[in-house]
Amino acid sequence: MTANSAKALVLPLAVLAAFEVWARATHLQSDSLAPPSEIVMALFGAFADLSILAATRDTLFSTFAGLAIGTIIGLALGIAFGIFDTLNRLMEVTVEAIRPIPSIALLPIALIALGFGYRMEIVIVAFACVWPVLILSRAAVRSIEPRLMEVARALRLPPAQRVWKIIVPAALPRIFVAFRLSAGIALIVAVTVEIAINPLGLGAGIMLAQQALRPDLMLAYLVWIGAIGYALNVLLVVAQNRLFGRAALSGDGA
Amino acid sequence: MTPCFPMKYMIKKNIDKQDRKMCHGEIVVKKVLAALVVSVALTGTAFAQAKIQVGCTATSDCASAMVAIDEGIFKKHGLDVEMTPIGINSNIPAAILSNSIQIGGPTSTVFLQAVDGGLDLVAIAGATVMSPVNQDSIAAFVRNGITIKEPKDFAGKKVGAPGLNAFLHVLFVKWLVEKGVDPKSVNFVEVTFPTMADIIKSGGVDAVLTAEPFVTRMTNAGLGSVGARYAVELARTDPIIFYAASREWADKNAAAIKKFRDAIAESAVIVNNDREKASTSIAKFTKQPIELVKATPPNRSEPALKPEQLGWWIEVMSSQKMLQSKLDTSKLVLK
Repeated sequence: MTANSAKALVLPLAVLAAFEVWARATHLQSDSLAPPSEIVMALFGAFADLSILAATRDTLFSTFAGLAIGTIIGLALGIAFGIFDTLNRLMEVTVEAIRPIPSIALLPIALIALGFGYRMEIVIVAFACVWPVLILSRAAVRSIEPRLMEVARALRLPPAQRVWKIIVPAALPRIFVAFRLSAGIALIVAVTVEIAINPLGLGAGIMLAQQALRPDLMLAYLVWIGAIGYALNVLLVVAQNRLFGRAALSGDGA
Repeated sequence: MTPCFPMKYMIKKNIDKQDRKMCHGEIVVKKVLAALVVSVALTGTAFAQAKIQVGCTATSDCASAMVAIDEGIFKKHGLDVEMTPIGINSNIPAAILSNSIQIGGPTSTVFLQAVDGGLDLVAIAGATVMSPVNQDSIAAFVRNGITIKEPKDFAGKKVGAPGLNAFLHVLFVKWLVEKGVDPKSVNFVEVTFPTMADIIKSGGVDAVLTAEPFVTRMTNAGLGSVGARYAVELARTDPIIFYAASREWADKNAAAIKKFRDAIAESAVIVNNDREKASTSIAKFTKQPIELVKATPPNRSEPALKPEQLGWWIEVMSSQKMLQSKLDTSKLVLK
């Protein structure tokens, strides 16, 4: 840990310590707040009985599956729209009409059509993930160096090979940035679906802890979700740097 | 452009760096796609549903089903039953229709609104009914600084209900009407049970419609006082929550429903007479601390449900313009 990152921790730790002292001094009685020490104990307890691990598995499964499906669909459409300008113009109204629909607004329909469980959550997460990937990959494809496309034409590469050998590798760093953006969205949407409807995963854990009048456990889940989100982002940044090196910087405007 | 040979070969043959980089990109694409395909394949896993899933909110109202599971009563009757916790009661009808749960425990208001809206649901057994014990535990809790001497004092106040058009809200509006107070003069907002104490403390609302254990907890914390025990004054014995299924599932599973009813009747006796066993099962399902469950007066379990018992609710909800059609009580409860 560098001196700078240690310094950055001072303020949040001081706030937590102050909150702990205040909670103890005032004998805090709340169904929504708990002293940090109790939150830590609740987190250990949830690890000990494996409940938080099972919930993490459920949430991450839906997150990654939804992210995968959303990325594949978004990437395919983004590349197609990027290559074929006519298709892009034809679909623009449709895309712009569907894209603003909040994924969570689909919950009532999704519940009746798909029921509780992974399927419903994955569909909602995938819907949310399609758009950033679609928009960014379309922009990435359109900004490919024209000379590369000329090379493809000179080599008379068939369309599939043109996509596979030229377009995707050239646009990949920016596509990965879109993937990183979608990964954050996927986790947020998955937890929100669980809080709102789906009786599994970390979001459902928060709701159950709240209804059981266990604010310490509820906040422990919240802290854990934050840690997962942070870890996911770090993992993706490391992967981005390792896979693309300096090329990653070209797309990292997000 | 050079075709993509293995990287070692390309380095050995001194193939142009740009081409190697392009090939590296291709390999990365392949790896990423392979990972995605594996993830997608995993999502196709089907989750077989051999058990009867009973969906209830984290309250004591489905205690008869909880006890029937824990005491092996369902098993004794040849049923494999599992409880599914549902966050919000109004999600239960949709969960039943999607077959995520086969039997649910909606409140009377949620059930009647769902049927009124066109969902083909049918009540199959009783769960809990209003009784003097639980009516006494229902209250409008008023924050410090607000004085409620009579029902008309609620006019102009901001009152938090755990669900608008839900059980406690509908009862309170009925009480206001009976006392000659226009419900429109009260400003209702939604406040969930776990946040009531904090919102009352902060003065965010003037009163909350609540029940035990929240009344005792807020009283002990000195946050205010009971403004009205409105449910006691209504003195009703109508159902609070009952077990419901889709008509299609009920028609196809007549034998299972008979067994379910027998098991619920047997376990209701335990719920009403053995507080220890009931509390243990409730704490297990709701994850509430056992001391808290024991301190809360239990709702009376009543396994029998007659069509006419829904008549009062239909009348009250119709008068509050919550129902659009005229519901036929004889079709609401399975014979």
